[in-house]
Amino acid sequence: MAYYDELFKLCGFEEKEIEEERPRIEKTLARLGIVPDDMPSAQSWVKQNHDLSLVGVRKLLGAWLKELIDLVLAKDEGKKVVYFGFPAILGPGLMLSASSDDVLVSAPDMVLDHTMGQIFNKLTPILEAGEANGLPPGHALCSLWQAKIGGIIKGMVPMPDLALASSYFCDMGSKADDLVTALYGVPVAYIDGVMDSRWGEYPRYLPQRVSYLGAQINQALKKSEEVLGIEVAPDAWEKSQIDSRGYINNLLKLLDLMRADPVPISVVELELLEALSGSSTGRGIREGIKAMNILISELEERVKAGKGVTEKGAPRVMMASGHTSDPRVTSLVEDAGLAVPLTMVLAQVGGPKHPPKKTYSTPGETIADHELASGPVHGTDAMIKMFQSGAKVMKLDGFIANYLFNCRPASLTSHTQKEYLERTTGLPVLALETDNFDSRTYSAESLRTKVETFAYMLKKRKEASRN
Amino acid sequence: MDALQRLGAHLETRLGSLEEAKRQGRKVIGYTAGGYLPEELVLACDAIPIGYVRAGDNNILRDAGSYICRWIDPFWRSQIGYLTSRKDLYYSIADLIVVPITDNHARAFSNTIVFYTPEVESFVFGVPHVKDELALGYYLDGLKRLKNKLERFTGIRIGKQGLKKAIELCNRERELFSQISMLRKANGNVVPSRDFIALHHGSFLADKEVMVDVLESYLKEAKKREPSADNVPRVLLTGSTLGDGDTKVLDLIEDCGGMVVMEEFAEGLRPYWTSVGLEDDPMAALAKAYLMERVCPGWFRPGTERLDFLVELVGDYRASGLIWYQLMYRESYKVESYFFPQILKQKTGLNMLVLESEYDTAAELGTMRTRIETYIETIRT
Repeated sequence: MAYYDELFKLCGFEEKEIEEERPRIEKTLARLGIVPDDMPSAQSWVKQNHDLSLVGVRKLLGAWLKELIDLVLAKDEGKKVVYFGFPAILGPGLMLSASSDDVLVSAPDMVLDHTMGQIFNKLTPILEAGEANGLPPGHALCSLWQAKIGGIIKGMVPMPDLALASSYFCDMGSKADDLVTALYGVPVAYIDGVMDSRWGEYPRYLPQRVSYLGAQINQALKKSEEVLGIEVAPDAWEKSQIDSRGYINNLLKLLDLMRADPVPISVVELELLEALSGSSTGRGIREGIKAMNILISELEERVKAGKGVTEKGAPRVMMASGHTSDPRVTSLVEDAGLAVPLTMVLAQVGGPKHPPKKTYSTPGETIADHELASGPVHGTDAMIKMFQSGAKVMKLDGFIANYLFNCRPASLTSHTQKEYLERTTGLPVLALETDNFDSRTYSAESLRTKVETFAYMLKKRKEASRN
Repeated sequence: MDALQRLGAHLETRLGSLEEAKRQGRKVIGYTAGGYLPEELVLACDAIPIGYVRAGDNNILRDAGSYICRWIDPFWRSQIGYLTSRKDLYYSIADLIVVPITDNHARAFSNTIVFYTPEVESFVFGVPHVKDELALGYYLDGLKRLKNKLERFTGIRIGKQGLKKAIELCNRERELFSQISMLRKANGNVVPSRDFIALHHGSFLADKEVMVDVLESYLKEAKKREPSADNVPRVLLTGSTLGDGDTKVLDLIEDCGGMVVMEEFAEGLRPYWTSVGLEDDPMAALAKAYLMERVCPGWFRPGTERLDFLVELVGDYRASGLIWYQLMYRESYKVESYFFPQILKQKTGLNMLVLESEYDTAAELGTMRTRIETYIETIRT
């Protein structure tokens, strides 16, 4: 038995899987600088932060580790590597992935956050490397990008052969891609879009937005073909949707389970599966869906038994998403006695459906229309309205409207989100400034007082309404 | 009275004349910075364009703090502060505010108008971040929607001839700015940067005919001037935004013995290097000139065109130093400021000084002075 076996078992690996994967695991750990001395603290970190009584949770952690291994070894194993920025319009990445087994398409920053952060608790040196190489602290620059640059600089993840730049949402992402190009000559396929809908327009949008974004996606796919020397398969879009359908169906089942009181699972674990679908186009997400199947069965048992992660009757709040690298920040909400039955992803799945405006002849336009109808890429009010619809999906007592200080599109909601939700739903809203990817400044300790006070107010309010 | 004095006198009464124009039925169209709103369209429907570039006062950021978090560029927070506080009457005199959406900082402003000041009518259209045929088509479509909006709003149809006339007027303004700017290529300096910037800032508020007249007078005056001594370090000043009221860096460079010979900013100065073609389709010509032919700002992807332009300007204007003045939280410029110094050094041999501001003079003045003094000393030797 090797020094890492115990940790990998905690993360849902079967003994047989470890044996089969052993050479790859060892090569990966060596490249990441993980040594035997790191194991006790990693095991304790995982046990402290995750509900390991659920096999589904263990398997989810394992899915992230499998994505990490595939990512770290991609170049060694002869693959072409494509990175996209999170949050991404995933369609083009999924299509490239579905078109060739020799291409790995991933979001390395998210993979590093969930593994080097959530499993090994060694993210800080990676972030510091990003800060020292173009993305310094103190300027509200994206900590996901700090992790990505840091991971590349430290040689943990391979230099990509192509960057799919998300020029449709944040300005930082594609500019940081420019940085990688300037320093290392990595080619970029920009997918440009313009978030020029007026506040209040959602769910309406101009057909020109679909045409432009769609054409940009098609153009990026063409460039990808040239750079990677592959052909995007004619049925790539349909193929890529097979996994997505399984995932969405599982989310719907999960949404139903989350209506239970008490809520059967922590948002810490929900985050593991929600983020996986936005970060992986390969083995990670496929394993993640299998893990979800197990998890859903386990949660059904919990619901039947009336078991949950918070007390029955706890105030129920919606929170956009959990922390990607430090689960303590997420846990603090439940520690304060609040149940979180709804996240942005679940609200999106369970909320009103906005079907495509029409049938399109190219995958780019099909993807663009889907993304604009879904929300975040549409504009600020679309993001906020997802919270609003959440109140209808789930019986909520309030919202924790966490906005990321270092993500410009997200920080635009800092004031409007609270005011709009309070006005339209009548529910209390805690506007919480956070960094969802890096807990060095926005730690659980720094946020605790605000969350505890809000939780106390919600409990009193709920008691009063009962009486 | 010299040209700048005439401009000052014109601006002193400008609000009153705008009120009078409104009483006579003309519309005032406010628009936000970045250089992507063709004023030609506004002029062609007999409306009056007013550009918003005021910034530099930290106090207004406190007003903006009630509407947006601090992680947005202070220039755009200033716009939010002026709009919501009504402390600057130019922001409340507009009948319609047009916001070309350039990046997420501009979106902060456009969200604010609709959410917090719904009584102010506004119109948004998008500016793509890349230069290709698809982007040109999208931008042109936005301009056409803007044209329709302006026609409905003013009740005046924008005809080809009227638009061409407006293009000619605006071309004349751009040509004059260009001619004045180019005087600075010569030895010495007959156009202080302070004057050039004042002309730009004034041009966002002034009547266009008056402005052209002022620029023509200024050009004549400048040509007659004796060049200043040419033994001072020549500085190229660049960045995202040089707001009207943000004079700190310019003051310090001059105090420390430097001379700014060229400014390159996406917001606060108007693009003046290219003219709009007068071919058959004026709308297409506007889109081509405003999106494709002008040098792109730092938030374009990639931003190499602008960086190459800076290298070119260093040569053309014989700059001995380049000061990169960026505003806090404007991420595009921050990221570029990391890798551009290496390119600049390689191509021109110059070192670059990066300065950052939150418009907090009390906190920034001392350290900025020390850094500028040191830099000027370095390039002097």
